[in-house]
Amino acid sequence: MDDTLLKAPDPVSCSDLSERMSAHKVNAWFYEKQALHGISMKIYDKKVSAIIGPSGCGKSTFIRCLNRMHETVPGATMKGSIFLDGKDILSKKDVASLRRVVGMVFQKPTPFPTMTVYDNVAAGIKLFGRISEQKLDRVVEQSLRRAALWEEVKDLLDKPGMGLSGGQQQRLCIARALAIEPEVILLDEPCSALDPISTAKIEELIHELKRNYTIVIVTHNMQQAARVADYTGFFLLGEMIEFDVTSKIFTNPRDKRTEDYITGRFG
Amino acid sequence: MRSAGDAWFKRIAFAFAASIPVLLLAIIVLLVKQSWLSIHTFGAGFIISSVWDPLADEYGALPFIYGTLVSSIIALIIAVPLGLGCALYLSEVSRSKTKEYIAVMVELLAAIPSVVYGLWGIFVLGPWIANVVQPFLRSIFGFLPIFQGPYSGLSMLSAGVILAIMVLPTITAISREVFNSVPNYLRESALALGATKWETVKIAVLGPARSGIVGAVILGLGRALGETMAVTMVIGNRPEISSSVFAPAYTLASVIANEFAEAVSDINLAVLIELGLVLLFITVVVNGIARLMVWRLTSKVKARP
Repeated sequence: MDDTLLKAPDPVSCSDLSERMSAHKVNAWFYEKQALHGISMKIYDKKVSAIIGPSGCGKSTFIRCLNRMHETVPGATMKGSIFLDGKDILSKKDVASLRRVVGMVFQKPTPFPTMTVYDNVAAGIKLFGRISEQKLDRVVEQSLRRAALWEEVKDLLDKPGMGLSGGQQQRLCIARALAIEPEVILLDEPCSALDPISTAKIEELIHELKRNYTIVIVTHNMQQAARVADYTGFFLLGEMIEFDVTSKIFTNPRDKRTEDYITGRFG
Repeated sequence: MRSAGDAWFKRIAFAFAASIPVLLLAIIVLLVKQSWLSIHTFGAGFIISSVWDPLADEYGALPFIYGTLVSSIIALIIAVPLGLGCALYLSEVSRSKTKEYIAVMVELLAAIPSVVYGLWGIFVLGPWIANVVQPFLRSIFGFLPIFQGPYSGLSMLSAGVILAIMVLPTITAISREVFNSVPNYLRESALALGATKWETVKIAVLGPARSGIVGAVILGLGRALGETMAVTMVIGNRPEISSSVFAPAYTLASVIANEFAEAVSDINLAVLIELGLVLLFITVVVNGIARLMVWRLTSKVKARP
């Protein structure tokens, strides 16, 4: 475990660090019940930020605020500000264009059940408007390659997406998200429904993707956060207890509660 | 000793289950037996003949088959978009309380007795169709033969409209259920790709729901084909095949209901029963086609277990 921890960068030695998104005092509610209490957090460009914490701590709610998915749930509201490249996304009228920049992959693999592998990847691009067939072919192949799925499905493009294995389906969903060329990718417990081998493939993929994308991943698996993330935030009961470089969180946390959690004393 | 109870449970359950195919078979056998005289006398010509003259003992089923099918198709043309739109509003668009009221009212439509629909059809719908709808249609689509001829409240069009209202609750309620059963994560996936509300419905809801929609439409069609009372009251009951939907027509169910009590000769009775057999055959075929379509749509997207 120590080897993986050493890979995480030290913020002081990192000179190319720039802030891509940031949350300021984000509060969120489901009807009367407050799920998030004043979350502030920075998300650095082309880094992997993980959010860990026990079930029900609000970590999924938080990343669903980052692409304003939270508000699509009946009774869900939020306050505060979230900046993307310096602009507040909460005042934005055009939510669809925000979600094109901030893509999302969900807990369970969610390919569109009536679509082929090809159509699943193309689904998002087609929303843009007309696109030539060759160009579409190229984007689909490129997206599948980036999702490390091309070699496995290149002969299955016209087969139903639901016919793939669970791990392949999840990478298909990643390809679908990549196809619309987002800049930030939100992964909401992307491996919780997958077996260890598929999980390893997705983690490998996250390492690849962070060269070009900013990634935020929610996980209840601490080892996973330690393996993939540059930064880690610990959530508890809707509050962010601590946010720091991953190695710091896992070896020398400031807060007693963080230490209790990562050493398995609760949650 | 306790396992004896299991054996009895099995036997009794089987007896209940078996009673349904037996009943169906009994109905078919009876219909064939009672109409044998007619089948024997007229043969296949019965289906394709359009002469209907009980006094001269000449009978043809074609006008009734035509009336049944066309009135049901008109009903679907009106009710399918309306029902699907209503179901989409109820399950996808509205978040407010109004949708609950609308849903209850749609279900109330199904509770209105068909004779009440018939009365309303005669006194309100028929005159409105003759005075407003038909002139409007003829003024715009008058070049089409189906919208020509004299206006009439008792017409194929009136029957189609009243049937549409009657099958609307069926189509709405079932397709609403189908839309509700589409898992929410598919909608979220579409939204996460930057889809608008309508695009989300298009790619994440209508696709997975299509086999269910076909099922809803076919159940509506089944109801329209067999509906008797309301149609009999507004269709005009004239056994003729007219190219215009403004003209009166006749359906299989209506002619059986109207003439059964007055059928005096054996052959007349047998003919009416054969019409019942034809109606049964049509509904069975429609249901078979529906099964086939649903099966083809779902088998194409077989999910891995």
